[in-house]
Amino acid sequence: MQNEIMKSLSHIWFIMLKDLKLFSRDRMALVFFILFPLMFVVLFNFLLADVSSEDERLELHVATQEADGGLSHQIIGALETKDDSELEPGDPEIIWDRDYAEARQAVEDGELDGFLAFPEDFTERVVRGDETELEVVADAGATYTRAALYGLGRSIATRIGSTQVATRATVELMIGQGLLDPWDQAAIDEIIEQVAEAIAAAEPFVEFEAQQVGDVEPENAANFVIPGYLVMFVFFAAALGAEAIIRERQNHTLERLLASSVRRESILGGVFAGTAAKGLIQIAIFWAVGILAFNIDLGLSPAAVIILSILMVIMSSAFAIMLAALVRTQRSAGSLAVLVSLVLAPLGGCWWPLFITPTWMQFLAKFTPHGWANTGFNKLMVFGAEFGDVVPEMLALVGFAVVFAIIGIWRFRTSAA
Amino acid sequence: MAEAFLTAQELHKSFNEHKAVDGVSFTIYKGEIFGLLGPNGAGKTTTIRMLSTVLEPDSGDVTIGGYSVRRDANAVRSLIGFWPQELALYEELSAFDNLVFFGRMVGLDGKEARAQAAARLELLGLAQRAKGRVDKFSGGMKRRVNLAVSLMGHPELLFMDEPTVGIDPQSRNNIYDTIEGLRDKGMTILYTTHYMEEANRLCDRVAIMDGGRIIAMDTPRELRSQIGPPDQVTLEDVFLRLTGRSLRD
Repeated sequence: MQNEIMKSLSHIWFIMLKDLKLFSRDRMALVFFILFPLMFVVLFNFLLADVSSEDERLELHVATQEADGGLSHQIIGALETKDDSELEPGDPEIIWDRDYAEARQAVEDGELDGFLAFPEDFTERVVRGDETELEVVADAGATYTRAALYGLGRSIATRIGSTQVATRATVELMIGQGLLDPWDQAAIDEIIEQVAEAIAAAEPFVEFEAQQVGDVEPENAANFVIPGYLVMFVFFAAALGAEAIIRERQNHTLERLLASSVRRESILGGVFAGTAAKGLIQIAIFWAVGILAFNIDLGLSPAAVIILSILMVIMSSAFAIMLAALVRTQRSAGSLAVLVSLVLAPLGGCWWPLFITPTWMQFLAKFTPHGWANTGFNKLMVFGAEFGDVVPEMLALVGFAVVFAIIGIWRFRTSAA
Repeated sequence: MAEAFLTAQELHKSFNEHKAVDGVSFTIYKGEIFGLLGPNGAGKTTTIRMLSTVLEPDSGDVTIGGYSVRRDANAVRSLIGFWPQELALYEELSAFDNLVFFGRMVGLDGKEARAQAAARLELLGLAQRAKGRVDKFSGGMKRRVNLAVSLMGHPELLFMDEPTVGIDPQSRNNIYDTIEGLRDKGMTILYTTHYMEEANRLCDRVAIMDGGRIIAMDTPRELRSQIGPPDQVTLEDVFLRLTGRSLRD
């Protein structure tokens, strides 16, 4: 029994080596397995990198109708971004539009999404403690800009309100202690102005804080482009490996192997191991290029990324075995491999990240191994997940592999050489 | 009395409704070359595939060297070499690599596989091209590599399914010489062919199949004598008399 197992393992090993030797001598296969996928990755990474590297920092424009010297000038001056290189990720750039009329015209012409404006009598009303209104002028379609301007306006209003409370309290305290004449409006105005200035100088009017979740930089398009194309091409190449088994049958080497005391299971095992070995070479090259050339981040758990990749290779190789056992000719194996790969790749999120797709597409993706693999990679490399978070995706790939392998082995055992 | 090495008993095999082999029985003795002749579709290849364990019979059994192909297929495989009708080689690999690979498949260790590969290539006049890719070889050279592979592991019984189809006279004669040399060393051979002069030259006994059955079986001389003076009639005359002159698909 032990001898039989050792003999089978030996057969699997030598069939795998033979397949790798054949692979190394097939220049077209090398181009298809390695160069062609890398060309895709480079091309799409550059295309998407252009998009993702555009400066998407939110610009908030602020203007005032007050004359020079008003409080609004101090507020805007304090808020205005002086040096955008010092901004943290996620901070908006505050731009001071000096001319209210021009800013308004720009919004009407569609050149500007919107701006926040201080009224002409802003300082006067604030000093008097009267209500004042900040104006948001925004294009109807600029939802995000309008929301941000409202937020900025509310922050300023809250801050002004706090300042007003503080100045009033100061004035009333000074009057109560006989330090200020309640009828000396000029003296009161001077105190109010000093208190307001002191508060303004103490800390900025409005602060924006951006918090980064996880340790993964989401801006790098390669973090989802490379896994997507890796999943697609590993599966595609493995599926085309189904032709290898059919070629064995058509070239009569299968018949010769069967007559040489090689068990059917060993032949399948050898072809499976050969296909998987080629897949492992592919993923090693993919990740090496990704890390060295595209600076991808494997996230918090590189081990999970590697295991997920290996499971993807195993699942794809099992699919090749099933495909080879179900079809009879090289042509039909090749056609089916192309068809299935091209259908499953977009459904499974290889061409675009699943997390930007509608819910129904994300639901459909659950029926594809690609969908599970891509979801796992996205979780790890885009959303900063840890090993335990992708165990369901790993189990799903194992499940697909087992089903494919069972069908393949069953069909191969019952089919004639 | 010669020792029986292969005994086929009442072999049957059908594909869908078609009876490819219909009750075939015969014995091959150790050290003889046994010819299996028949027109296209007679059932020769199906029979040889069952004998070589590639195909399981619907009923009947075969014993080779005392082992049943049904019950001890692995033991049978260790005794046989198989030369399929078509080239069964990895043409992108060299002749030497093909031989070493199939040597490993029949259970040889690396050193023995390499030694046997070199010896077989020498025997078949291919030593100079051992490292050449098979797809660069002529048809005759490929056939010789095909034979060399069949001989890896020193099989006791060699199945040869139409080994000389479509090759030049030089390669054909090289193969004849090799087969006769193998017989002289005690190897048992089952040989199928369409070429009657080939069977006449090589085979100790022949069986003629038609319609999935064996319709005649004897030495070539005895078969010839059944229709006339054996020195004046050919095996082809016997074959045509028995199987008719109508064309076969």
